[in-house]
Amino acid sequence: MMNLSRSVALISLFLLPLLSFSFSVDNPTDRRVLVLLDDLSLKSSHSIFFNTLKSRGFDLDFKLADDSKLALQRYGQYLYDGLIIFAPSTERLGGSLDSKSIADFVDSGRDLILSADTSASDLIRGIATECGVDFDEDSTAMVIDHTSFSVSDVDGDHTLIAADDLVKSDVILGKTKIEAPVLFRGVAHSLNPTNNLVLKVLSASPSAYSANPSSKLSSPPQLTGSAISLVSVMQARNNARVVISGSLQLFSDRLIRSGVQKAGSPNQYEKSGNEQFVTELSKWVFHERGHLKAGSLVHHRVGETDEPAIYRIKDDLEFSVEIYEWSGKSWEPYVANDVQVQFYMMSPYVLKTLSTDKKGLFHTSFKVPDVYGVFQFKVEYEKLGYSTLSLSKQIPVRPYRHNEYERFIPTAYPYYGACFTTMAGFFVFSFVYLYHK
Amino acid sequence: MARSSTSKDAQDLFHSLRSAYLATPKNLKIIDLYVCFAVITALIQVAYMALVGSFPFNSFLSGVLSCIGTAVLAVCLRIQVNKENKEFKDLAPERAFADFVLCNLVLHLVIINFLG
Repeated sequence: MMNLSRSVALISLFLLPLLSFSFSVDNPTDRRVLVLLDDLSLKSSHSIFFNTLKSRGFDLDFKLADDSKLALQRYGQYLYDGLIIFAPSTERLGGSLDSKSIADFVDSGRDLILSADTSASDLIRGIATECGVDFDEDSTAMVIDHTSFSVSDVDGDHTLIAADDLVKSDVILGKTKIEAPVLFRGVAHSLNPTNNLVLKVLSASPSAYSANPSSKLSSPPQLTGSAISLVSVMQARNNARVVISGSLQLFSDRLIRSGVQKAGSPNQYEKSGNEQFVTELSKWVFHERGHLKAGSLVHHRVGETDEPAIYRIKDDLEFSVEIYEWSGKSWEPYVANDVQVQFYMMSPYVLKTLSTDKKGLFHTSFKVPDVYGVFQFKVEYEKLGYSTLSLSKQIPVRPYRHNEYERFIPTAYPYYGACFTTMAGFFVFSFVYLYHK
Repeated sequence: MARSSTSKDAQDLFHSLRSAYLATPKNLKIIDLYVCFAVITALIQVAYMALVGSFPFNSFLSGVLSCIGTAVLAVCLRIQVNKENKEFKDLAPERAFADFVLCNLVLHLVIINFLG
């Protein structure tokens, strides 16, 4: 007895620090991030990126990708909230990590930044395919663009691309427009067309193609043009976010500090858009932006405040829901004009756009349709870059009780009149018949 | 030739019907008038239903049935009271009228109940 309680106390004491340093429902930004590198010199060659993360309060844990003591979980609890894999050439991850454990990591709602590069291993490709992104099968291929390359390209084979085809989303890339093109040098990937959770954040220009830069092309390249994605994101149904990049150099200090001039364009920028791009993307992927939370759905009849257990057809009701957005530090009221509610039974009978009071409360009122059954109030909100909201509340609707109908139906007045006229006629007739002369 | 004979025949028929009818006793004519009134009321209701639709169908049925029912009962009264009718020779006309009144009472009770 004593031993058991003592061991429980010891274990809980040990687990307590682990429990307090992770993301929670009230504070969805990730805290502890595991960074897997295949070469520890990446710590210094990508120091600007890592320092921006550290300055925002992330706890980075640098490990070699084949470190045999790697573990994502201990005693069933995840040790990290986010994972950055900057190990494109690692064939096998150390410790208890493999592609399945990384898939489980994302399945648990945790976030991932995955970067491939030239000579990406099968492991990295496998993890990317799990997320709906297919890298070019040719392992020697890189993205080449003869019209959109950076003028500062030293090698002259046009593999250093200045890309500016960014997705138009303030949530993913921040409110400030990224003016300078983003420098990229790496492999191409395409999105699985059947997957509707992936999204291209940085696409290649229509003149790009994926091929080996040092050998002559023998057949037309498979991946060409805007179908090539340079950086993609995926938001899973449990709101875990994954960023997949085809270039590790995108995050490097060298490209961040370098100036950029796109070939054929007169604009010369002193600093490439890389730093702003990777910073804003990391804010999005680690849930500092675009994370929504909804309160419970509230509904009641007009004029009442309590939620009834059942509605009657043709009742007037009011519906409201509170939605908040995480700003990185606190919950701010969410402001949008496209949140909709459905009054749903097999198909939506009523679909209304909610109006907001700009303080997070979304409300509307409508009339219950002339159909009885068991309905649901459904709010299904899937906006690009925001976490999905899927709320529902069931409510039955009954028809009129037999004494709730109107007493005298106006359209039936002629029939009422006819009956009474007939009765009067019968009365008069009997008098006339009896007393006529 | 044939047309004028058929029209003359029709006119003759109409005149003979009319004169025969004028010879009927007064009480029978009163009953006939009552039947006409009831049937006209029923027809008006059917025309109204055709216009507006049969929404409170029970009310429609109740209205039409009251008119047709009372017309049928009046026709029965006429048959029983008509002196030319050999079948009801032994039936007292007061008895027939009493039946008529009783049946009408029951009919109108049912009608009011079904009217809604």
